[in-house]
Amino acid sequence: MRRLLAAAVAACLLALPVHASDSAMSEAVLLRAVLRHGPWPQPVLADPSNRAAEHPAAIALGQRLFLDPRLSRDGTLSCAACHVPNGSFADGRARGVGRAPLLRNTPSVWNVGLQRWFGWDGAQDTLWAQSVRPILAVDELGADAAHVARVMRDDAELACLHRKAFGAPRDDQATLVAAAKALAAFQATLVSGRTPFDEYRDALARSDAAAAARYPEAARRGLAIFVGRGNCSVCHFGAAFTNGEFHDVGVPFFAGRGQVDTGRYDGIRRLQASPYNLLGTHSDDASGKAATRTRHVELTQRTFGQFKTPSLRNAALTAPYMHNGSLATLRDVVRHYSELDPQRVHSHGEAALLQPLKLADREIDDLVAFLESLTDPNARAPLAAPRACRTL
Amino acid sequence: MRRLLAAAALAAAALAPVSFASACELPADFGARAETLALALAYRPVPAPIVVGKHFAVDVAVCAKAGAPAPVALRVDAQMPEHRHGMNYRAQVKPQGPGRWRAEGLMFHMPGRWQFVFDVESGGRHERLVHDYRLE
Repeated sequence: MRRLLAAAVAACLLALPVHASDSAMSEAVLLRAVLRHGPWPQPVLADPSNRAAEHPAAIALGQRLFLDPRLSRDGTLSCAACHVPNGSFADGRARGVGRAPLLRNTPSVWNVGLQRWFGWDGAQDTLWAQSVRPILAVDELGADAAHVARVMRDDAELACLHRKAFGAPRDDQATLVAAAKALAAFQATLVSGRTPFDEYRDALARSDAAAAARYPEAARRGLAIFVGRGNCSVCHFGAAFTNGEFHDVGVPFFAGRGQVDTGRYDGIRRLQASPYNLLGTHSDDASGKAATRTRHVELTQRTFGQFKTPSLRNAALTAPYMHNGSLATLRDVVRHYSELDPQRVHSHGEAALLQPLKLADREIDDLVAFLESLTDPNARAPLAAPRACRTL
Repeated sequence: MRRLLAAAALAAAALAPVSFASACELPADFGARAETLALALAYRPVPAPIVVGKHFAVDVAVCAKAGAPAPVALRVDAQMPEHRHGMNYRAQVKPQGPGRWRAEGLMFHMPGRWQFVFDVESGGRHERLVHDYRLE
């Protein structure tokens, strides 16, 4: 009886228009599909490979390093130059620009602590390994371990925080890894706030009709497509709106004349060759359990041209979109899935899942309204000042 | 002909009723079961239930039915038949004693209908058993 009542209440609260092709999807199924996109916020995943992951001194050190252009070889670029804090930690460009133009769009680092793989190709298996990569990349910060160790040594505040979080510095390589682990500790704190969607989702969960009614109707209709015939939530799964894995969604992987971005395929190869992966000596996880994903990930032909499913939280603030920044607006993204040519999908399996949605203009508006409702209104608030070493 | 035989074995494994006349006992707490004419198999995910995007292991027990040769090796995989793709991870199978194995490193990265695929070697032959698993 209680179940029946709950289903009846859900049906009233949802008031979601059901498209003819969604007719097989009952209100109860629809409600379950909506509820699994929360609650929010979610606890950040523990990282046993980073012994200082939650250490306040590491978080403070990471924030200072994130904003500090001295970390780059010529002192001109910081992490924040591309992951702009008041730009939702992205840069607004189609493709990033470091010391030279880059191949891919700069992903936001909001909620990055919830991820399993890092970078569009998942070539890194931890947030700290991901933080090492741009420091050493010639086209990005272009530094080396000796440079980073010098910066950390010569600045009293950085040196103090380093000692408190990691103990006495051992050598340049260990200091580079400590800097990356501090950067990871800071970035893991970047959890976006609640959104209009979260208020609606929680109102449904507690059967609060008055609160649910405040969610705009267009967003509701867009949500019904998202979890229904759009099949969007199959990959944009869960509270973070990503399953954390890799897909070919028909975005060309040609990166320029004679240049192919193989995405996950080379990502796995680079991961397996990296001295900073979870199987290497820089991991603090003595149990080896954290390395399960790295040990078992499989390099197959299917991974060619696959890129990571991005989170959709704050997506409205991080245009342009896709791994190559080729789509300028959220409307363009929705239109891409509406008009998608399955012939362009390289992977056989993805083509079975991805069929053109053939949305009407109003349905495109509705999906955009839903995606915009995943925006934290405080996402562009300035960062609080990092804590000083003497206070820790 | 080989393909036909394999398909027949597959169909038998998928559709066979769960009534075992085994030479060994399958653990009562391994809820999911499948069988062929010669083999009976039970498994349980660890931890259970399986969660989208979380790695898990599978404990597997295989018994030969009366007169059939004992199972000696096992391979475990999984696929999404409707999506026509498998997992992004390769399971590693470790023996846990006669007729017992643990497969580690599996991960289902999407909700929907998954299908476990167990390839069992016994008496110099390979038999395939499949079992559906619906993941919400």
